[in-house]
Amino acid sequence: MSQIGTPPELSPQPRSWLFRFWRKPFFLLVIVPSLIAAFYFYAIAAPQYVSEARFVVHSRGNEGGQAAAMRAAAGAALGGLGGLGGGMASSETNSIRDYLSSLDAVMQADQKLGLVALWQRPEADFLARLWFTEPERLARFYNRMVDVALDPMTNVTTLRVRSFRPEDSKELAETLLRAAETLVNSLSERIRNDTLKVALREIEIAEKRVLDSRAALLRFREQERELDSAGTAQAAVVLRGQLEGALAQARAELTERLQFMRPDNPALQGTRNRIEALERQIAAERSRHTDTSATLGGAILVRQLADYERLMLEREFADKQLASATIGLETARTESQRQQLYLSRIVQPNLAVYALYPRSFTNVASIFLGLAIAYGIGWLLIVGMREHAA
Amino acid sequence: MNLSGEVALILRGARTQRRVIGALIIREMHTRFGRHYLGYAWLFFEPLLLGTCIGFIHLLRDQATVFGPFEFYAVAYVVFFVFRGIINRASTAIPSNIGLLYHRTITLPDIFFARHIIETVSCIGVLVVLLFALFAINGDLPENPTKVGLAMIGMALLSQGIALMAAALTHAVEGIERGVHAMTYLILPVCGMFFLVDWLPEWLQTLALYIPTVHIFELLRDGQFGSRLRTHYDLGYVAGWIMVTHLIGLAALRITRQRIGLE
Repeated sequence: MSQIGTPPELSPQPRSWLFRFWRKPFFLLVIVPSLIAAFYFYAIAAPQYVSEARFVVHSRGNEGGQAAAMRAAAGAALGGLGGLGGGMASSETNSIRDYLSSLDAVMQADQKLGLVALWQRPEADFLARLWFTEPERLARFYNRMVDVALDPMTNVTTLRVRSFRPEDSKELAETLLRAAETLVNSLSERIRNDTLKVALREIEIAEKRVLDSRAALLRFREQERELDSAGTAQAAVVLRGQLEGALAQARAELTERLQFMRPDNPALQGTRNRIEALERQIAAERSRHTDTSATLGGAILVRQLADYERLMLEREFADKQLASATIGLETARTESQRQQLYLSRIVQPNLAVYALYPRSFTNVASIFLGLAIAYGIGWLLIVGMREHAA
Repeated sequence: MNLSGEVALILRGARTQRRVIGALIIREMHTRFGRHYLGYAWLFFEPLLLGTCIGFIHLLRDQATVFGPFEFYAVAYVVFFVFRGIINRASTAIPSNIGLLYHRTITLPDIFFARHIIETVSCIGVLVVLLFALFAINGDLPENPTKVGLAMIGMALLSQGIALMAAALTHAVEGIERGVHAMTYLILPVCGMFFLVDWLPEWLQTLALYIPTVHIFELLRDGQFGSRLRTHYDLGYVAGWIMVTHLIGLAALRITRQRIGLE
């Protein structure tokens, strides 16, 4: 009975092509999943709004020697393909990009904005919404929704943020931009401080030396009760010259008088007394200033002069050092101004009106294409297997 | 025809195919290396020798950075050897086995699968030996062995897809096999074995990432060195290449089979 009662297979009545088609494996394995995907994308999937911002990290000053070294290394590794560089982004721009996709940025944004709530809005559909809120998994989700792309030719970094509400996207983009700005500023500050710190320390040292030398000179003057040792020495020399002159004159006078006077003439006694007095005076002067073998008080002027000249020299050097340190600080200041980093926004985060994501057509088409190719391969393999059995 | 009958037929066919491939592997080993056992050893020695040579050349030339040059190049070369070995032999597979096609149970893909299994298994063996030797010497294992294995399998599959296409093409167009052979050498500098994408200037990075082998080598390096390097790869892209080349290759082989029959 049952053999006879199978009319659908035996019946010559032609089914519609649609009915025959749906029993084909191609329909079941490719068309149906594609239709399910299409249903999801067009009917269920929540719209995702993109907020886009663009910025440039300007770095005046030396354009990262590190990047050049890397480029050289790459050229060497490629074996003579060197000189390929050109349009390589500076290391600062790269570090900003790395920062924006890091866990640190995620946590900061989460603290400020509450990323979990933002990606778990009620309108979010079950496939696209955030499910796991552990930091690492949040970071993975974040990297799916936030795209940081660096155009190496123009150095422009594009930040694209997706979420389920236009305001959320905009706010998150704004927050991230601000975080990036903070980072750039702190980097810049750091560079500037490093350059200036050395110059400032140099100035400090020089200033201290100048003050020390002035103080030493003052102490010397107080101690020795002398304003200008060089002047005193000069005066002593002049005095001695005068004494020597007077002595020579007195001697000449004595010699002259002896021509016509007896040596015991009392009129000569005055001249003799003058000569004697002058000689004594000269000897006293000499021992006072230069005789080192004399008592402790002797040779004062020599010592004073040496000390005085040393102090004057020190003062001169200290002044010169301060002057050069000041010039150094000036150059460091201009240098640090040149090395400033700053982030300038080119495109402000926009408020999306139309939901660009999910890309329904692209996704459905790629799912269909992937399945069709996989089906083709599978069909070829299975047919190959069947050939063995036949 | 009902479905269960069809499935049974396919399963029976699959069993036969497995036996055919097994037999073809043994036959291929005999024809390539002769019947004495040292012959088989060449299967392992060739990639091992070439890999260590390349590794030593770079060990002498380069400075160690975050990774040693030996492990960087030697391991990559073994993976490249799969690619080279499979594609270089692709053009000779049909002519040298054409007699076997008189047997109805032997199909063209079987011949290729057998050869590719030999090539892949030997290189996986060499890879394991090399990695353990490096572990014994340096004490560092790959950070993620799964990724290393995945790179190896991906390379074998990609090579298989290309080899299937190349074999069909060489059969269709006379004299193209020399071009195929030259290609495996010409692709050597750009295949990703000698560089990391991260070393390239950015405009070249985007170009390099169009080459599927570059992704595979990046995956290998990611598995080998992990977080010590920055790698760029997209497994979906590689999967796409593998699928498309297989589809074209298998379909082309079916057409080729009909043409052989007509001769």
